[in-house]
Amino acid sequence: MGESEHGPSRPIIEVRNLRKEYPVGDEVVVALERVNLRIPKGQICCIFGESGSGKSTLLNQLAGMEKPTRGGVMIGGVPISRLEEHELAEFRQKHLGFVFQSYNLLPNLTAVENVAMPLMFRGVPKEQREAAARAMLRRVGLERRMKHFPYQMSGGQQQRVGIARAFVAKPQVVFADEPTGNLDSKTKTDVMEMMCSFARRLDQTIVLVSHDGNMASYADRIVTLLDGRIIDDTMND
Amino acid sequence: MRFDDILRLCAQNMFRRKSRTILTVLGVIVGCCSIVLMISLGAGVSEQNRAMLKQMGDLNIITVYRPGSDYGTASSTSTSSSGTGADGEVKLDDDAIAAIKNIPGVVGATGQMTIDYPLTVSTDNGRYYTTYVMIDAIDMAESATMGLELTQGESPKRADEVLVGQYFAYQFMDKYRPDGYNMRNQPYDAGDGQVTQCDNTGNCETVPADEAQKPFFDPLKSTITVTLGSTDGSSSGLAGSTGSGASGGSTGSTGSGDGASGSGASSANTFKFKPTGILKEDYNKGQATSTGMLLDITQVRAMLAKLDKSTALKSTSYTQAMVKVSDISQVPDVEQQIRDMGFGTMSYEQMRKDLEQQSRFIQLMLGGIGAVSLLVAAIGITNTMVMSVTERTREIGIMKALGCYVRDIRMMFLGEAGAIGFLGGMIGCVLSGVISLGLNLIVLGGFSWEHVRQAIMGGDDVTRLSVIPPWLFVFAILFSMAIGLISGFGPSNKAVRIPALDAIKNEQ
Repeated sequence: MGESEHGPSRPIIEVRNLRKEYPVGDEVVVALERVNLRIPKGQICCIFGESGSGKSTLLNQLAGMEKPTRGGVMIGGVPISRLEEHELAEFRQKHLGFVFQSYNLLPNLTAVENVAMPLMFRGVPKEQREAAARAMLRRVGLERRMKHFPYQMSGGQQQRVGIARAFVAKPQVVFADEPTGNLDSKTKTDVMEMMCSFARRLDQTIVLVSHDGNMASYADRIVTLLDGRIIDDTMND
Repeated sequence: MRFDDILRLCAQNMFRRKSRTILTVLGVIVGCCSIVLMISLGAGVSEQNRAMLKQMGDLNIITVYRPGSDYGTASSTSTSSSGTGADGEVKLDDDAIAAIKNIPGVVGATGQMTIDYPLTVSTDNGRYYTTYVMIDAIDMAESATMGLELTQGESPKRADEVLVGQYFAYQFMDKYRPDGYNMRNQPYDAGDGQVTQCDNTGNCETVPADEAQKPFFDPLKSTITVTLGSTDGSSSGLAGSTGSGASGGSTGSTGSGDGASGSGASSANTFKFKPTGILKEDYNKGQATSTGMLLDITQVRAMLAKLDKSTALKSTSYTQAMVKVSDISQVPDVEQQIRDMGFGTMSYEQMRKDLEQQSRFIQLMLGGIGAVSLLVAAIGITNTMVMSVTERTREIGIMKALGCYVRDIRMMFLGEAGAIGFLGGMIGCVLSGVISLGLNLIVLGGFSWEHVRQAIMGGDDVTRLSVIPPWLFVFAILFSMAIGLISGFGPSNKAVRIPALDAIKNEQ
């Protein structure tokens, strides 16, 4: 799949000349500088770097959570850095999925309700969306945990709920911010394999942020950041 | 997001923090209760005022006076002294009455006359007599319209038939009994079917109405002889009546026959009447309803004509008139039109207005006190919502990151605040209804289903402390809900400003 980067099809994610500054006290810290990145559809791309390298900032930019200081991000041809709040919400509903390091499940909702949440925001009726959610939970192996609340589940189980939630709406791109950061090594492998297999099946794109070399090995491509610049961009075999 | 999903999330969030929600709702309940109860107490005051006015008189009767005469002098001015009417611009005569009747909203009008000649009234061959009888006259056709009620008998139909006051017969003295024992004690209505009687030594006792002392004679079975002009020489008047040979105290048929013959008697100042009905005492309709006699205007005119032809013919104007208006709301309008005709008027309208204004002021004041506690409740709602938003910062961020619309987040928080207000309002209304019922039951004197009905529905002679009109419940619920929404507005704005990034930044 690595070839498609140079292929004729338009990349699903296109980052052009991105710059992001943060004011810290009187000084300005440059978190990202002249970042250019094209990620083709279906690629699993890992953004790799030490903490403070700007990898999380880049993910936030890609997902449209912050406005860039300069430059822009296009996803599927849509300039998400220039969307209004309402348009951005709609875009997220339809095209983006998220997996978080700390799972970020809503504590007062059951596993099914958590997974069904993105569909609820779209206005899908309860029966329909919960049927889809149950199907997703079965796929991540949590058929016995459907009615459980997050506090009744282990970290690995919670993250699997998180993955089910990210994929339930069949998004084009899934962003994963250190998805294995809080898990033990056995669970890490399960979670990564699960995510990758989901993505491959529907030709979905995953942008993964990690500082863990082992996890990076699941990706098709590893983009290494240091001090806000891309210093390395290699394809895995 | 679908509306039912927003509501479900609201309910979930409220349920999650049960005690906090309950306490906040409690604040609204107290606020709502205090507003409803305060306003209901004010409404109670105005209901009592209305009842009081009703007792004082018919609110839709206007009394009309000749121009230039005020209330005090009007009653003492003679009907026959037409000279005083002449210097006024407008005469209160039959033409004026007819004109007043044509005013839209007027359902009836009658002139009023009073005979203020010295007179003696006697019956039963002069055995029972009195010199303290007031003889009033109105247009008998209007008596029902003016609200005159009879306790017994029926309206007069013939030229010698009249009505007498409820206690008319108690005014008479028996000439065969010694001073101090020659009168029967007049009972006074003490309510609940009881009457109070006082004897001439000043001792009073309250007895059931049917045990009260009866007068010497039954007016409905007697013929009444009126002798005009006999100031203190009662003997002359009595002689006149004896001379006519009236057999008073006999049956009605013979009595009326006597009356008919009596009216044609030789003595020009003696008149015989046959009472056909006894009026219910009502001071607003004049002394005649209590202790006097009520005649038709034509009868009085005939009497005056017989007595003194020269003045009687000129006496076409009345000292005062009564005008009945169909609806109380038309009273000011009709009153103004009568004033425009040049007459003086008197009604309870001004007093009603004053009382209404006063009770509105009381209502406003009490409502204001209630509003303060609802304001406190509003602050409570805001506090709860601010805490709720702060607690859920992370959740809001997650929802935003997953593509929840800002308007849905706002709706969620507004819905929560509105629901707190609505719940508080509902429970508050139920509670204040119960408290109001309790207050009224205490005033009415204890529990009984009849009292419960009276406490809720009210009634003509029911005194209620607290009156809750149905609109007040609707208003209170809507108002509480509005307070909730307004209180939740700031916090919900705070919630929508939380960036999606916060969800991810706030690591555990």
